[in-house]
Amino acid sequence: MKLKTCTAMLLAFAPAMLYAQAAGAPPDLTGVWGIYRGGPGTDPKFQPPAPTALVLKPEYDKPYQERRAKESAAAQRGEQLDNPGARCIPYGVPSMMSIAIYPVEIIQTAKQVTIISEAFSEVRRVYLDRPQWKIEDVAPGYYGRSVGHWEGDTLVVDTVGIKPTVSGYRGMPHSAQMRVTDRIRMLSPEILQDQITIDDPVVLEKPVTYTLGYKRMSSDYEMVEFVCDNNREYVDEKGVVRLKVHDK
Amino acid sequence: MKVLHAIRAKLCVMAMVAALAAFASPVWAHHSFTMFDMTKRFTLTGTITSFEWTNPHAYIEIDVPDEKGAVKHWSIEMGSPSILMQSGWKFNTLHAGDKLTIIINPMKSGQNGGFLSQATLPDGKVLFNGPRQEPPPAPTQK
Repeated sequence: MKLKTCTAMLLAFAPAMLYAQAAGAPPDLTGVWGIYRGGPGTDPKFQPPAPTALVLKPEYDKPYQERRAKESAAAQRGEQLDNPGARCIPYGVPSMMSIAIYPVEIIQTAKQVTIISEAFSEVRRVYLDRPQWKIEDVAPGYYGRSVGHWEGDTLVVDTVGIKPTVSGYRGMPHSAQMRVTDRIRMLSPEILQDQITIDDPVVLEKPVTYTLGYKRMSSDYEMVEFVCDNNREYVDEKGVVRLKVHDK
Repeated sequence: MKVLHAIRAKLCVMAMVAALAAFASPVWAHHSFTMFDMTKRFTLTGTITSFEWTNPHAYIEIDVPDEKGAVKHWSIEMGSPSILMQSGWKFNTLHAGDKLTIIINPMKSGQNGGFLSQATLPDGKVLFNGPRQEPPPAPTQK
């Protein structure tokens, strides 16, 4: 092979080679990642795949569908029903991974990956060097307890201990037995995906899987604080969200 | 004919609401737009009493005189600071005492409140209420 040809090939493959990891070394997910939904005009290979069907057990599906119908009817009337967002209650796991267009920041070290959502300043700590506890040993909360390990270039995160009152994927109900698995992987230096699987043997007929896309924000982006100290919304006696306006 | 016209007008409004909802829904984390009439827009010109750079939303509090000089106070909701920064706003873009012209979507309740559509700053610069604003239809004067 001529030097000129070889140099040209090396230059052509340089970005891919730089991105490829040394054997055994995990990729570095550190950075601020903006929400990426793909869509028309974007590279189809980075398009997050469609979610699987959300199938609830009949005893949970009926009240879930009834509540969705009430919310839909209220929206038709121009009203929004009581919901955690209107009360400025954080979203928790897994919903915090994609709130509107707010970015998430990932900070990766050898023993821990920390994920911070700009919306509501929510934090997940993923321990890489500790075993997971039994669900019943984890205090139920918004973020539960997360442990992770690398499977090749994919960070696999196991989370348990999300309390049932925390709003679920598409508003689905869930039990204390819910288990969330994130499979987080860079598709390129600029694109990241998180494939989230929710398993809940009490509520779901089968696990549901959906995928979120992210695009790397510019390296000088600084995360903005989010403390909900000026919430002017309130819920009236009919359970409808209203807005306070000031007289002066 | 009158009935047909009314149906067409209603369909048009429904399409506008759907289009606005589709455009707007990914942008806002905190609540839906149901409390605002996104099909109506009008212009207010007045003097800012406070500019609140806060979460979950920023607010412009503004005194607006009518043609007879009587002053009414309005509370105008904006996006969150994070979202506003992506469309050129800063915590000190506005100050109490500044004169401001804004276009808003009014509250359905009829209260003196609304959702910011666009603002013309004292220096003439126009800022929108988020990074994905599209050119809106012409507003009517209040």
